[in-house]
Amino acid sequence: MLDRMLTHPELLELVNELALQRRIVGPVARDGRYFYEEVTRATDLDLTFNYCVYSPRGALFPPQETLFVFKRTNGTFTAEPVIDVRPTALVGVHPCDIHAIRLLDHVFEQDQRDEHYLSRRAHTMIVGIDCQRPCTEGVFCADMETNAADKGFDVMLYPLSDPGATEPLYGVVYGTSIGRDWVLYGRRGRIPTATDERTFEQYQRHKTDAFPRMLRMKADELPALLDRSYDSLLWEATARRCYSCGSCNLSCPTCYCFNILDETDLSGTTGRRERTWDGCHLREFAEVAGGHNFRPKAGSRLRHRIYRKAKWIRQRTGLPGCVGCARCDRACTAKINSVEIYNQLAEEV
Amino acid sequence: MLAPPIPYKPTNAELYLPKPARILRITQLTEMEKHYELAFLDGHRLNHQPGQFVQVSILGVGECPISICSSPTRPDTFELCIRRAGSVTNRIHALREKDIIGIRGPLGHGFDVTEMHGKDILMIAGGLGMAPLRSLVQYVLDERPRFGQFHLLYGCREPKELLFTDDLTRWRESGDVNLKITVDRPDEQWRGRVGVVTTLFADLPKLNPQDTVVVIVGPPVMFKFVVIEVLARRIPQSSIYCSLERRMKCGIGKCGHCQANHVYVCIDGPVFKYGQLKAMREAME
Repeated sequence: MLDRMLTHPELLELVNELALQRRIVGPVARDGRYFYEEVTRATDLDLTFNYCVYSPRGALFPPQETLFVFKRTNGTFTAEPVIDVRPTALVGVHPCDIHAIRLLDHVFEQDQRDEHYLSRRAHTMIVGIDCQRPCTEGVFCADMETNAADKGFDVMLYPLSDPGATEPLYGVVYGTSIGRDWVLYGRRGRIPTATDERTFEQYQRHKTDAFPRMLRMKADELPALLDRSYDSLLWEATARRCYSCGSCNLSCPTCYCFNILDETDLSGTTGRRERTWDGCHLREFAEVAGGHNFRPKAGSRLRHRIYRKAKWIRQRTGLPGCVGCARCDRACTAKINSVEIYNQLAEEV
Repeated sequence: MLAPPIPYKPTNAELYLPKPARILRITQLTEMEKHYELAFLDGHRLNHQPGQFVQVSILGVGECPISICSSPTRPDTFELCIRRAGSVTNRIHALREKDIIGIRGPLGHGFDVTEMHGKDILMIAGGLGMAPLRSLVQYVLDERPRFGQFHLLYGCREPKELLFTDDLTRWRESGDVNLKITVDRPDEQWRGRVGVVTTLFADLPKLNPQDTVVVIVGPPVMFKFVVIEVLARRIPQSSIYCSLERRMKCGIGKCGHCQANHVYVCIDGPVFKYGQLKAMREAME
């Protein structure tokens, strides 16, 4: 069921109004590729983007952020946490990335609440945009059941092309009262008609056939497949190509591992404790002081990442650890391909 | 006009903040290890379980995970045994008594001491493993009537690497623990046992498998051989505990550094039962 219909110009007007209250982050074209960037005007966004090279996770979990600032005085110290409260709107988030954000929400909420993430998240509104067809070749979001999202957004836009119109017409579904208030208080759009609902049904039917199945197994069979594959020679054989560069980690929407580092002024009296993205494919990731490395081989690091994505995260959280966006596969300098890994493992059993 | 975003009140903003603690006493244990006694500046107690750890901060340099080596039965202060290994621990070694460092914790899942009450105890320590184990040794000695027989086997590569030698002498003289020590590579003064720690099992009296709890702390390579000795004495797998070392950065199950297979050593451990470890191939590698 649709909640509202918006034309493209109406959507842009709403985003411009939102920009008065929130920092707007969305897809921006750069040399034929798309990146999530902060914009000041709705027209700077390109909502016809195929995919963004990096996921929007950086808007919620920045590559580098300050956890606290400290001051050393009289032999002791004081420290003050830094919590981001900037109102933000992420505009133009595909279903795969919405699933990934739901995982980040879970990770930073469970056990100990991480307010550095959660505060930023609480201040961030998410405007999703659905994909009627795969954004590019090689994605396996349909296999991972992440090519549609029914929660995790404030508003979801379904680009239902309006026959005869050059501008897209969006079917709108509200996810939260924040999203509904944004559309309704803006007094834009109109109530969906029976024709709109029929168009939406056709859209959904078309979508079911549009996504290819890439994996030879279902997503919920992956944990059992990996259970049988720990000692496969494929890990070492595939990782022979791996440069341990961490591009897969960098581009992954569900990678949330981080390092913690201190920065100080020259005198060392004031400074910051920073957290930075880290990646399990990097050689020193599991190294302890003294030099022992718990995962010294690229093969064991590759296995670790794939197990995390397809088994451990799913088992620990009940949420998909991989959303099938294939950013890792596209980013890999050695063309290591996760779909190929899963399908080859399936052949071994 | 649109209402502003709902105000959000963080409830856990101090998650990563270290608290200042004063170094009360420093003892040089070996060439590489120093023993620190600490207390928080604001007077609050650490309130830990044996086997837990803390993150020690030198602000401007960083943080590193260190096991607590004293027992909560001695609650006014807490003790750490710190090996000089990286940038943070090197800076800690340069500190003097009365200096202040940052402490975050206690962190992790320690030993469940109530499960051990009423049991015979067999502990095996290898190398630096004696540091986390000491928190439990002290606990058992302080609560001695709650436990049955108490055997402690300790192995090091060289005599000069033995930790807490004053404690070892005191423990042995107290008669409260059957302490056996061995080294792999003796020096000229060494009059004790020579060999790996598993050779000490020959000295043990017959164990009562149903009433014995076994605690193993040491390098992964030692663990496998010790477990075989223990299982050979028909101790149930559910009665075997061990503690793992990993690179912990956040200490709260988020950053991913300490993950061993499916577990986060920092929150699921560092103390595990052997039954949990069997599913963790990386634990023993």
